[in-house]
Amino acid sequence: MHKFSIFKSAKLFLISFGFVYRANFLALLMGVMFGYLMSHAGATTYDYHAKMFLMIDFQLMEVIATAVVISMIGVFLLKKFHVHAISTGDEVDFVKKPYQKGLVTGAFLFGIGWAMTASCPGTVPAMIGEGKIGAVFVLIGLLLGTMAFGVLQTFIAHNGQVSDTLK
Amino acid sequence: MEVVVWAGWIGGLAIGLFVILHFWLMGKPAGCSTGYGNVCGLLSKKLTYYRQGEYSNPNNTKLWFLIGIPLGGLLSALGSPDTWHVSFDMGMYEAVLPQSDAAKALWLVFGGMLLGFGARLAGACTTGHALVGGAMMNPPSLLAGAVFFMSAMLTTQLLFNF
Repeated sequence: MHKFSIFKSAKLFLISFGFVYRANFLALLMGVMFGYLMSHAGATTYDYHAKMFLMIDFQLMEVIATAVVISMIGVFLLKKFHVHAISTGDEVDFVKKPYQKGLVTGAFLFGIGWAMTASCPGTVPAMIGEGKIGAVFVLIGLLLGTMAFGVLQTFIAHNGQVSDTLK
Repeated sequence: MEVVVWAGWIGGLAIGLFVILHFWLMGKPAGCSTGYGNVCGLLSKKLTYYRQGEYSNPNNTKLWFLIGIPLGGLLSALGSPDTWHVSFDMGMYEAVLPQSDAAKALWLVFGGMLLGFGARLAGACTTGHALVGGAMMNPPSLLAGAVFFMSAMLTTQLLFNF
């Protein structure tokens, strides 16, 4: 079976492992960068959320407005020159989130959660990395909420509409 | 835990460039809350909703992205003058949230549940809708972003002023 020396097979294993998981490693790196930037932009500091919604300090508004304008230019250029993605080799896919039933309701609930916890799903892990205990509880809640949605959808998929069960 | 916070426009510039880099490297929009669906799919095999479609392979890049975020937060905290320590202090929110630690924890779990359920019902979180959706000028995302903001503003006003 194995004709190679142990070093060579270890090397080949590492190369093939790296090849199979290259997109995942890039994603991990992107995650580290995202957490770092969110933290330095002030999105993981509780007070900035309160100050933004009480209209005292517009740090986060400034951040998101600048980020959206910059990335809009980037998206325009990527589209114009039909840039191919590094990890997949295919053209960049600008898949847009479709309108889905319950979008406004979901967004409304999300906003209440945002105000209650002063964090959002992207900043919670970064807060945990910074040693904020509160974020651990928010993470538990996040998983429970996501789980609840999955349970509901699985139930609907197997048993028809929820309204049917209420008859 | 105090971290160094950059000026708004510098942070925004860096995050904007990050979004472009993510598009270029990964070939798809950045997103956070979908990764939590993968975690749920890994936790329970019976939850078929998180085992099909975009979740058919739970060990995908969205999950690895999510795992990377705490490391980024840790790096940022370690690079700040304050030494890394654990804290349960919530700044301005201390005045309006329940005073006992247990009640505060329950409050945060409940808020987190609203975040998780709302994000899945709306299809994405602040990153997917407001940031990346805004960059692509996607109308449903702009609507969702506006509702996120309005409802959070209303709730915060209620919390602090009434």
